[in-house]
Order: sequence, then C-alpha cells, then structure tokens
Amino acid sequence: MAKLIIDDLHLSYGSTEILKGITATFAQGEIVALLGRSGSGKTTLLRSIAGLEEPKKGVISIGDQPVFDAAAGLNVPSEKRGLGLVFQSYALWPHKTVFENVAYGLRLRNVPKAELQQRVAAVLDGVGLGHLGDRYPHQMSGGQQQRVALARALVYNPPVILLDEPLSNLDAKLREEARIWIRTLIKRMNLTAVFVTHDQVEAMAIADRIVLLDGGRIVQAGTPEQLYTEPVSLFASEFMGVNNQIKSRVQDKRGGYARIELSGHPLWGKDRAGKGVSEEATGVIRLEQVEVVDGPGGGDGENRIPAELETSVYLGSHWEHVFRCGDQTLRAFGRPLPAGTHWLHLPPEQLWVF
Amino acid sequence: MNRATRIAVIVAMAIAVLAPIGLVVYQSFLDGPFFQPKTAFTFSAYEFVLDDEDFFDALYNSCVIAFGMTAIAVPVGAMLAFLMARTDLPGRRWIEPVILVPMFVSSVVLAFGFVVSLGPAGFVTLWFKGTFGFVPWYLYSKTTLIVIAGLTHVPHVFLYTSSALRSLGSDVEEAARMTGAGPLRTALTVSLPMVMPNILYAAVLVFFLGFELFGLPLVLGDPEGILVLATYLYKLTNKLGTPSYQLMAVVVVAIICIALPLVALQRFLLRAANRYVSVKGKAAAQKPVSIGVWRWPAAAMIAAWLLFTVVVPISGLVLRAFVSSWGEGVNLLDVLTLAHFRELMEFPNLTRGIVNTLLIASVGGALSVGVYTMLNLAAHRWQSGWTKLMDYLVLLPRAMPGLVAGLAIFWVFLFTPFLSPLRQTMIAIWVAYTLVWLAYGMRLVSGALLQIGPELEEAGRIVGASPGRVSRDLTIPLVKVGLFSSWLLIFVTFMREYSTGVYLLAPGTEVIGSLLVSLWGTGAVDLVTALSTVNIAMIGGGLLLMSLFGKRSHG
Repeated sequence: MAKLIIDDLHLSYGSTEILKGITATFAQGEIVALLGRSGSGKTTLLRSIAGLEEPKKGVISIGDQPVFDAAAGLNVPSEKRGLGLVFQSYALWPHKTVFENVAYGLRLRNVPKAELQQRVAAVLDGVGLGHLGDRYPHQMSGGQQQRVALARALVYNPPVILLDEPLSNLDAKLREEARIWIRTLIKRMNLTAVFVTHDQVEAMAIADRIVLLDGGRIVQAGTPEQLYTEPVSLFASEFMGVNNQIKSRVQDKRGGYARIELSGHPLWGKDRAGKGVSEEATGVIRLEQVEVVDGPGGGDGENRIPAELETSVYLGSHWEHVFRCGDQTLRAFGRPLPAGTHWLHLPPEQLWVF
Repeated sequence: MNRATRIAVIVAMAIAVLAPIGLVVYQSFLDGPFFQPKTAFTFSAYEFVLDDEDFFDALYNSCVIAFGMTAIAVPVGAMLAFLMARTDLPGRRWIEPVILVPMFVSSVVLAFGFVVSLGPAGFVTLWFKGTFGFVPWYLYSKTTLIVIAGLTHVPHVFLYTSSALRSLGSDVEEAARMTGAGPLRTALTVSLPMVMPNILYAAVLVFFLGFELFGLPLVLGDPEGILVLATYLYKLTNKLGTPSYQLMAVVVVAIICIALPLVALQRFLLRAANRYVSVKGKAAAQKPVSIGVWRWPAAAMIAAWLLFTVVVPISGLVLRAFVSSWGEGVNLLDVLTLAHFRELMEFPNLTRGIVNTLLIASVGGALSVGVYTMLNLAAHRWQSGWTKLMDYLVLLPRAMPGLVAGLAIFWVFLFTPFLSPLRQTMIAIWVAYTLVWLAYGMRLVSGALLQIGPELEEAGRIVGASPGRVSRDLTIPLVKVGLFSSWLLIFVTFMREYSTGVYLLAPGTEVIGSLLVSLWGTGAVDLVTALSTVNIAMIGGGLLLMSLFGKRSHG
C-alpha cells in the first residue's frame, strides 16, 4: 500500500530549477534513501514533503490525503501534515530539557498528562535514553542528541518519518553503529521512512530502496542491489561504487553485448546504453570484479589482457594494485604480487559499456 | 504570526512612520499653523526660509562642521581600533570600555562639561591661567566646536572598525607576514584595506551625525551666535515672536531631504561592508601584532584623547555640581557642598523629570523592545514585498534628528483628535522615543533573532505547532537573553536622550534631557550641573548592569 505519493513535482528558487519533475511512490513500512550529490535536490525534495518548501507544480499525498496540490492551490502547512522530521543539525531546542523537547509534540496535541509522561518515557526508552530526560541538549554527546531528535520525531506516531542526513554529524565509528541501530528501530516500529544522504554506503546499509537523484531528476530507483549491480547510466555506476573506466569506441555488437578495446585488446561487455558501432563509449567495471589470472588462458582467451604492475597499496584487509595497460590504468584488489606483467580478466557480464 | 497579522503589524508601523512626516510636509505648504481654521496652500514659507541669510549660514556651518569632524574622527577612530583590536598595546582591556563612554553620555551633558572645564571661567582654564599666565584656547569658536565634535565621535568609528578588524581572520595577516611584510606594512596594506568598507561606512555615519548635531552647537556655538541647522530650527520658534509652524516645517523638510540620501548611502555601504568582511579569512584565534617601543607613544596618544573627551568634561561637570563657588584663589575643598542637589529636590518639575526619565528608560524601554520585537517577528523569515517595504520604512525616522521627530510627534498628537488628550502625557514621549530609535532598536532585536537557526523553528512547525505557537514557545524564549541585553542598551539610550523631548516638554512630560536644554537657556548652571550629574550616575548604573550581565552571559 502506498503511504506517500509524489507526482511530477517541480520547484524553483527564482529562475533556478531545483526539482524538475519528481515522481515517486513510497510503500508502507519501507525505508527509502534519497541519494545524490549536494545540489541534486534531495534535501529540497525532503523539505517539500515536510511542507517547508513550496513547489510550483505537482502533487504530494500522504496516505490517501493530498497535502500539496499546486493545481488545486492546496498547501497544507507543516504542522498540519503530522510528519516527523529529524534535522541534520538535530535542531533540539536548547531551552527545553530532553523530556520537554520530546513532549512538545504531545502537548500540542493536548495529550493528557499521565499518558504524555508514559509515552515520552516509552519513546526515550526506545532510543536508549530513558534515564536522561532531565538533561539539556548541550549536556549530551552528538550521538545522544541524535537519538533525542529521533525520539522527538517518533513520539506522536507520524505516518512517515523524514530524516535529513541523520548521521552526517557523527564520527565514523559511531556512524556505523547508528546505521544498524536506526534501521532496526524503524523496522521494529514498522514505520515508513524517507532519508536523505550523499553517502552510498549509508544508503545501502539502511534503505530498502534507493532513489538516486541528479540535477533535480530521478536517475534510478530500486533496491540497493539493483543500483549496485545494474546501474542504468554511467553516473549511477560511478555514484554507487569504485570503478575502472575504459575510454574507447564500440567495435562490434552481438546479442546484447558490445565490444570495446583497451590498447589493442578486445573486450566484450554488456551493452547498457545502446551505443552504435564506432560511437565513443565508456567501459566500466567495479574494482573487485577485475581478476588477476595466471595467463591468457585457454580457448580464445576472451577478455584477458596483459598489464604492467605499476604500484601496490596495502589497505589492511587486502591489497589494491594499479596496472598500466597502454595509456590507461586499471585497478584491482588481490593478494600481494611481484613486479612485472600480469594477466587480468574482466568478465564480460561484469563489464558495462555506456 | 500568520500572514494577516504580519501585514497588520507592518501597516500599523507604516502609519506611525508616515503620519509625522506627512504632517510636516503638509504643514510646510500652509500659510499658518495646521490647526487654524483658515489656512491656505502657499509656498510662502519656503520663500521666507530660502530668503533667510541665517538659514544658509546654518546650512554652511552644518556642512563645515560635518566635514571637519569626519576628518578628525575617522583617522583617530581607525587608528584606535587597530591599536585596540590588533596590537599588544598595554592596558587594552582597561581602556576598551572607557572608549565608548562619549557614546553613552548625552552630548548636551558633555557640552556642559566642556563649558565648566574649558570655558572662559572653567576649572582647567583658570588653573592653566594661574600656572602659565595665559590661555591658548577659546572654547566658543567654530574650530573648537569642530575639534570637540570630532573627538567625541571617535567611538562610532572605533566601534565599526574594531568589530570588522576582529572578525578578520589572523590567517590573512599571517599570509602577508609569510610573504615578507613587516607588522606595519601588514596593517597598512592588508588589515586596514580589508576593513575599508567599514571605515567608509563609519565616515558617512559620522558625517550624517554631524548634520544632526544639536547639543554641542546649542551650548558651544550659542555665545558667538554660531548656528547649525538643528539650532536654527530651535531658535526659529522664538525668532518671530509667535510659533511659526510653517517655517519650522520647511526647515524640517530641508533636514530630512539632506539626511535621507545619507541614510540610504549608509545602508548601502553597510551591506557592502558586511559582504566584504564575511567572505574573507577564517576567524580563528588571533595573535596580536607586536608594535615594540611604539606601544608607549600609542598609549600616550590614547590617554590624551581620553583625558580630553572623557575625563576633563565629566570630572569638571561633577566637580561643579558639588561646589558653591569657584574662581581664581578659591580652594575647592572649602566650597564643597550638596546644596545644588538639595535645591534640585525643591523643584517638583525636576524631581518629576528624574522619575519620568527612569520610567521611560525602564518601562518605556521594555515596551519599545516589545514593539521592535513585534515588528521583527512580522518580517521574520518571510520573503515578500511587505518586508521590503518595511526595510525602507525603518529608514525614514532615521532621517529625522530627535529634535525634528519630537516636533513632528508633537504635531501629530495636536492634529489627531483622539490623541490630543495624551499629548501632555508620557505616552507622547514614549511614542517619540520609540520612533526615533526605531532603526537602532530593530537592528538590536533582529541581531538577537538571527542568532537562532531556522531549523529550530522549522522543527516546531513539523511537530505540529502553528506559526504563532512557534513564536511564543520557541522563538521568544530562545531570544530572551538577546532581548534583555537589547533592553539594557535601549535603557541607556533613552536615559541619555535629550533632543526628542524638547518640543514635547510640558508639565507631566519632563525628562532630564529636555529639562537640561531648557534650564541651560535660563542660565541656571547650578541646577544644570547637578541634574547632569544625576543623569551621568543613572547612565553609569545602566552601564554597570550591562557589564555585569555581559559577564554572566559569557561565563
């Protein structure tokens, strides 16, 4: 069942178009990441859902109820939409205690005192801060403040919870813990959540579905796995992982595959952009898909190329090797290697031609 | 606030700002006071004023004084700012608060101080004559007036330049040092040029204040008949025997016409200046520049300036308030007395003036801050034509010197039937004060409001609070501290205000400032110095409170 529907949303600041027609559906109980670079419109989209920005065209519906409809002149103010939002800076009110920060939403809803006490205590317990209600925000660590911000957004059971870069203010170690913690909490409460991030690892770790945005448009939407293994464009493939890029021209095409060339060696890859023969194309392969092999191999030795080892970097769990092949470099992971020429295998199903 | 409330507040402000100005312009085209039944439209008032030699004399004097004092205040103020903000000058922390004193003492009080210290029969003059046998200065000349006006306006330049210098990161100076520039060269080629827009702004501000000058020329220019625009206006009341409203209106229109472009220019420069500094340099920890042996001449220069502009006039004034007589050969210790203060208590209008001043500064100041807060909230986080209109409206009262605004408010209360019973109450004074300090107060409060991030208010909307509740539950409590310090500044400002109440002075509306102006005219020096001393003590109390509060909120 669709919980949140966005239809053809456009938004501009003056003459600058920020959102250029966003259409998306968010299902009940789903965690969706809005992923993109800064300036891609992801935060603006989130703020439009929250009612903090006013689009010039389009429809936003929560449940079955439209909250924004430009054509009908409908724009329900933020406070009437009943959503929860966790701000990037947390935006905890410094003059209220943790308890009062969380309780404010319930006070506005005239919840009786006893019930209010009990609900705030429950949600604070839920985020692991049950004992810190009397503190003021400035007496807490960044991680604790983030939990308070989440508690404040959850306490009145919003139909959809929005999170704006919720982890960006935490340090690296804390962030990894918080990813798992937030996902577990949202899943346990069976909430619909939309969160903004520029970090593809974070998006993949937390979200059920990722919506990748660029320049105010949706580039691709799908499960983290789909986005990682089947990117629809060069941009999507670059955004989601660490790649080798091979600049070339399409030499030949056959059965959904296209042939490109790396310093004279033919390479077959999946034809992902439908480029014609002799058109310029880019071959893309993830670093971890490049295999170092013993030799040219049997048969026709398809997609195997010789390359000179230029340098190796030790990264703890593995080595990263940089190879030179003609005028281009290729990187691969693997065990330590001696200097000299090595053979690399680029499996055709893992090499995408855009 | 919702849209309708916002618009209502802005419209109310527009009426309050435009009514006095409209009335003045209307009056300037009449041939008699506006309340007389038979008045006709005419240009005769303009013809009269433009034919009056005294008017052009006053205009010329205003120009000369404004230029002269700018030429003195800007270099001294900029140098002082650099020494205080950027160097290892000894005793910086002690000097800093004293530098601003001339800003907080009303200029008419300072002027009295100069008279009793440096006037022909002043303390310092007599002492100098007794010691050296001659006196090399004459207080009542135009040159002296320019020098005094210039030196007493140094704090304005200091304030804007030093705050800009402080927000400038050390890194830009360190970069200059790394490429091989010495400390002096760094100051002249990097630091000062980078704050040039702020210095320029301060220069225009001082020039503008020069045009508005009233207290200093009233006291120091009068004995030699040196008139400036404001004193010309003040004297005009008595010039023709009967109050000639239309002539006064013409002079007011002239003053506003000169002031308005200057105000617009200041606004433009301030924006340019803020843009310039905010993008440059990282405001990291600043290391003061070492100026070596130059510390001592620099410190001596600052001490001399402080001695002349603060110590001499104020100590002279306070001393004068406590002695019964003085002159050549009189031992001051023998003539110490409290008689002047006792005398003060015998005049009901003077005691009323003291009480009224306390009331207008405390209660009135708080109400004004309330008004400024309302106005700011009406425009808060709202992009629209209405807020732009408000931006410009705020500037209009700024173009009216206190004397002029007081006159205009007086007329408004006279003109509007339902307001006229309030004319002789403190309400009229409060309206005038609030209007005169509108731009200043708005800036104080908006500074406090800008301190809170927009997301704190957005968070309130998201959890379900209406705009009104957000203001009440979040915005106001968050700016409480800022509002309190705004009130303290307004308190001191209202305490020292002297020119706005001059035309509104009536039984029941006495304030210290306007009483001082009228008492000076009668020559009651004993009372004037005693009342001035009371005023200084009250301002001192306000400043003390401010520094205590500042310490607490910083710690």
